[in-house]
Amino acid sequence: MTTLLLLGTSLALLQNGLVVGAILFSLGLVGILSRRNLIVMFLSAELMLQGISVSLVAWSRYHGDFGGHVLVIFVLSVAACEAAIALVFVLQAFTRTGRLDSSAWQSLRETTLDRSIDHEIPSLDTSMPSFPRLTPAGRSPDTDEQAGMQREHV
Amino acid sequence: MTLFVHLFAGTGTFEFLSPGILLAVAVTCLAASLYLLLPKSGRHGKTSRRVGWLIGLITLGLFITTGQRLGNLGDEAVFLIVSLVAVVSAVATITCRSPVYAAIWFALCLAGVSGVLLVLGAQFLGVATIVVYAGAILVMFLFVLMLAQPSGLTTSDRITNEPMLSAVAGGVLLGLLSLSIGRLSAEEPLCCRPPSKAAALGAITVEKVPTESVDLLTSDQVARLGGELFGRHLVAVEAVGILLLVALIGAIAIVSNGLEGSQVETSSLHEGSRS
Repeated sequence: MTTLLLLGTSLALLQNGLVVGAILFSLGLVGILSRRNLIVMFLSAELMLQGISVSLVAWSRYHGDFGGHVLVIFVLSVAACEAAIALVFVLQAFTRTGRLDSSAWQSLRETTLDRSIDHEIPSLDTSMPSFPRLTPAGRSPDTDEQAGMQREHV
Repeated sequence: MTLFVHLFAGTGTFEFLSPGILLAVAVTCLAASLYLLLPKSGRHGKTSRRVGWLIGLITLGLFITTGQRLGNLGDEAVFLIVSLVAVVSAVATITCRSPVYAAIWFALCLAGVSGVLLVLGAQFLGVATIVVYAGAILVMFLFVLMLAQPSGLTTSDRITNEPMLSAVAGGVLLGLLSLSIGRLSAEEPLCCRPPSKAAALGAITVEKVPTESVDLLTSDQVARLGGELFGRHLVAVEAVGILLLVALIGAIAIVSNGLEGSQVETSSLHEGSRS
C-alpha cells in the first residue's frame, strides 16, 4: 500500500480520477432521467453524489489540500439526511398509490402536457433461473405454512 | 491496454486515431450501449442486452486507451481494477430491472468507489463511504424496498421513460466533461497560471496567496483531517449537525402526519398511467 500512496500529485492521477467521477455522474444522470421506480431514481442520485466525491478527492490530492476531503464529509452527511427524508416521502407515496412508479403521480403535471401512456408493456419473463439443488437426504421437513406468503421473485 | 496502444502507435497503426476521434467514438458507443441495456419494450430483450454489454466493454476499452498513464504499471493496474468495478456495477445499477438487484449492484459500486478513494489517498473517506453508504444508507434503501415492493416485477420496472434521449444526454454530458478534463493537460498547473484578463485589467486585484502544498499522505492524515474539520470548518460542522437534527425531526413529523392522512384514498392518483 505504501507504494500506492507514493504516486505523488501527478496530473495523470487527477485526470483519471476526474474521468471516473464524470462517468459515474453521467451514469447517474441517465438513471435518474430514464428509470421510473422511485427508489432506483434515488439510487441514481446517490450515484451522482459518488461521482462528485471522487472528483473532489482527486482535486484535493492534486492540490495537496484537505478542503476536498472536508467537502466530501459534508456531502456524506447531506446524503444521509436526503436519503432519510426521501425514503419517508417514498413510503408515503407508496401507501397512497400502492405503487413505486413515478408516473403514478402524473396527475400533478401541468395541465397543458399530455398524459404519458404505456403503449407496449413487455411481457414478464416468467422463466425462473435454475438454482442448484442439494440432493435430498433424510426425512422431508414439514411444509411451511407461510410458503404461500413469500413472493416468487424480488 | 494503454501499453498495447503505445506499442501499436510506434508502428503507425493507430496514428490516424486522434484522441478526439477516439473520445467521440467512445461516447457514441456509451450512448448506444446504455440504450440497448435499459429495460424497454421489445421482442429481443436478451439479445439486445448482450449486444449492449459487448458495446459497453468496447466503450470501456476506448476510455482506458485514451486515459493518462500513471507511470507505474502496478498502480495503473490497481486503479484500473477498482474503477472498472465501480463503473461496471454502476451500469448494472441503472439497468437492472429488479430494484433489489439494483441496490445490491450499488453496494458493489460503493466498494469500487471506496477503492478509488483509497488509491487517491483518502483513507478516512474510503472507509467512511463503506460504513456510511453501504452500512447505513443502502440498508435503509433495502429496508424500504422490502417494505414497499409489491410482489413480482411491476410494469414500471420493465419499461423506462425515453431510453434513447436519456442515453444520448448522458453520452453528451460525459463527452463534454471528458473534453474539458483532457484539456487540463495542455495548460499549466492551476496554481501557476498567470492572472486572467479581468485581473490584469485591474477590475479586481487578486492577491495570490502562496499556499504551501501539504503532503496529504503522511501517517497522521486522519488526525490532520480532523484538525482541519474542527478548526477551519467548525461553523460548517455545527450547521451540518443542525441539518441532521432537522432531518431527523422532519422525518418523524412527516411519518406521523402521513399516518393520519393515509386513510384518505386518492382514487384519481390510483389510476396512474395504466389507462
